[in-house]
Amino acid sequence: MSILEYNGGCVVAMAGKECVAIAADRRLGIQLQTLACDANRVFRMHDKLFLGLTGLMTDITSLHNSFDFKLNMYSMREGRLMSPQTFSSLVASTLYEKRFGPYFSEPVIAGLNKDNTPFLCAMDLLGAAAYADDFVVSGTCAESLFGTCETFYRPDLGPDDLFETISQAMLSALDRDCISGWGVTVHIITPEGVTAKSLKARMD
Amino acid sequence: MLGVLYFHQQGNAAEKLAMDGGIGQGKKGEKGECCESLVGVKMSAELMELASMDWTNTEHMMGTTIMATAFDGGVVMGADSRTTTGSYIANRVSDKITPITDKVWCCRSGSAADTQAISDYVRLYTAQHAIELGQEPRVKTVANLFREICYSNKANLMAGIICAGWDQFSGGQVYNITLGGSCVQQPFSIGGSGSTYIYGYCDSNFRENMTRDECVEFVKHALALAMARDGSSGGVIRMVIIDSSGVQKVFIPGDKLPMAWQG
Repeated sequence: MSILEYNGGCVVAMAGKECVAIAADRRLGIQLQTLACDANRVFRMHDKLFLGLTGLMTDITSLHNSFDFKLNMYSMREGRLMSPQTFSSLVASTLYEKRFGPYFSEPVIAGLNKDNTPFLCAMDLLGAAAYADDFVVSGTCAESLFGTCETFYRPDLGPDDLFETISQAMLSALDRDCISGWGVTVHIITPEGVTAKSLKARMD
Repeated sequence: MLGVLYFHQQGNAAEKLAMDGGIGQGKKGEKGECCESLVGVKMSAELMELASMDWTNTEHMMGTTIMATAFDGGVVMGADSRTTTGSYIANRVSDKITPITDKVWCCRSGSAADTQAISDYVRLYTAQHAIELGQEPRVKTVANLFREICYSNKANLMAGIICAGWDQFSGGQVYNITLGGSCVQQPFSIGGSGSTYIYGYCDSNFRENMTRDECVEFVKHALALAMARDGSSGGVIRMVIIDSSGVQKVFIPGDKLPMAWQG
């Protein structure tokens, strides 16, 4: 089993009309043993910017702390919040700094630009960014998530429909992965605010 | 272990040709043979591992939790329903409890192919034996056949089997045939990767002389606990209850599993 599959877990983010949703499972395990069902993989950077990290949990924690710090320093110096595009560049360069001894984590960035248009970005563990206008996936069941998202996604969904769509895509993909699951959290980000929901998922 | 990634160069475009292990053939040139320019790149073991497609060359495993309990007059057998290829769930509703004779069944764990082949052989030998014997075969005999195959071929097999059933001479019996080929009769038996999580639960909750319904509840709760903790067990619970009058199959879907503390 590869190091990226040691703890398990997956994240998916989808874009709607002036909203984005980001969902992640809640399992933390050591290979096939499940340790906890309340692990956090999705982090709020600010009200219109969320970061989801998959892979090795220790690197997820380290990266999250590092980005929190860098974001705080930026807002103090610049007197404004970092835009999603800038943040994705920050994440990419932080990961590439460790090119020959990388962080074993593959991030997903979901946010709203200044004009409330959705912003989605996924990266590999070395910081190669891929931007999408529909959905991005990462984690141990990424291949399954690609399949379910491709099937269920439609453009310009409202926040409620987007929540339904991303939830169904996530739950179906989780059913086919041993090392992800045990609960799901979904954050829906709109210009008005953020809603966080938990899904009742299979606990196996 | 060093892996080699080959890049096929067509003009300026580089395409992945083949990976260590020979998966796929790659593009052929216009004249029907592989293009001349081939550049081999040696990559480190870690990066190779990151790039490899596990699911194309990993055998199907039944990570599994299996269990059988004997009561006065029969046995209750139970299993989860997950078959995996690496971490991908190849079948989430598989049936791991297979019949050998009418009243002797087996729970299979380990390599799916190995256990299917072994149980097919045992079914054949048992049928032949029953013709000569003129009676329903004894559970001990079937278990012995499993043991013979598993022990003699231990180097080539990965199979953990629980053989259980009812016969007219000794009533309900449970035999555990382990990876190395040992065969031991027990009042109840647990097996598979998920069983490690429920040894404590089973040891503290098993009582001698339980009734049929108490055994069913015991098996159901133990399996549900294992399925919650073990990544390679999950899906639905299938149970088979064997007694002198026949066989009853029970199916418990995922949303009806008994829930324990969700940590």
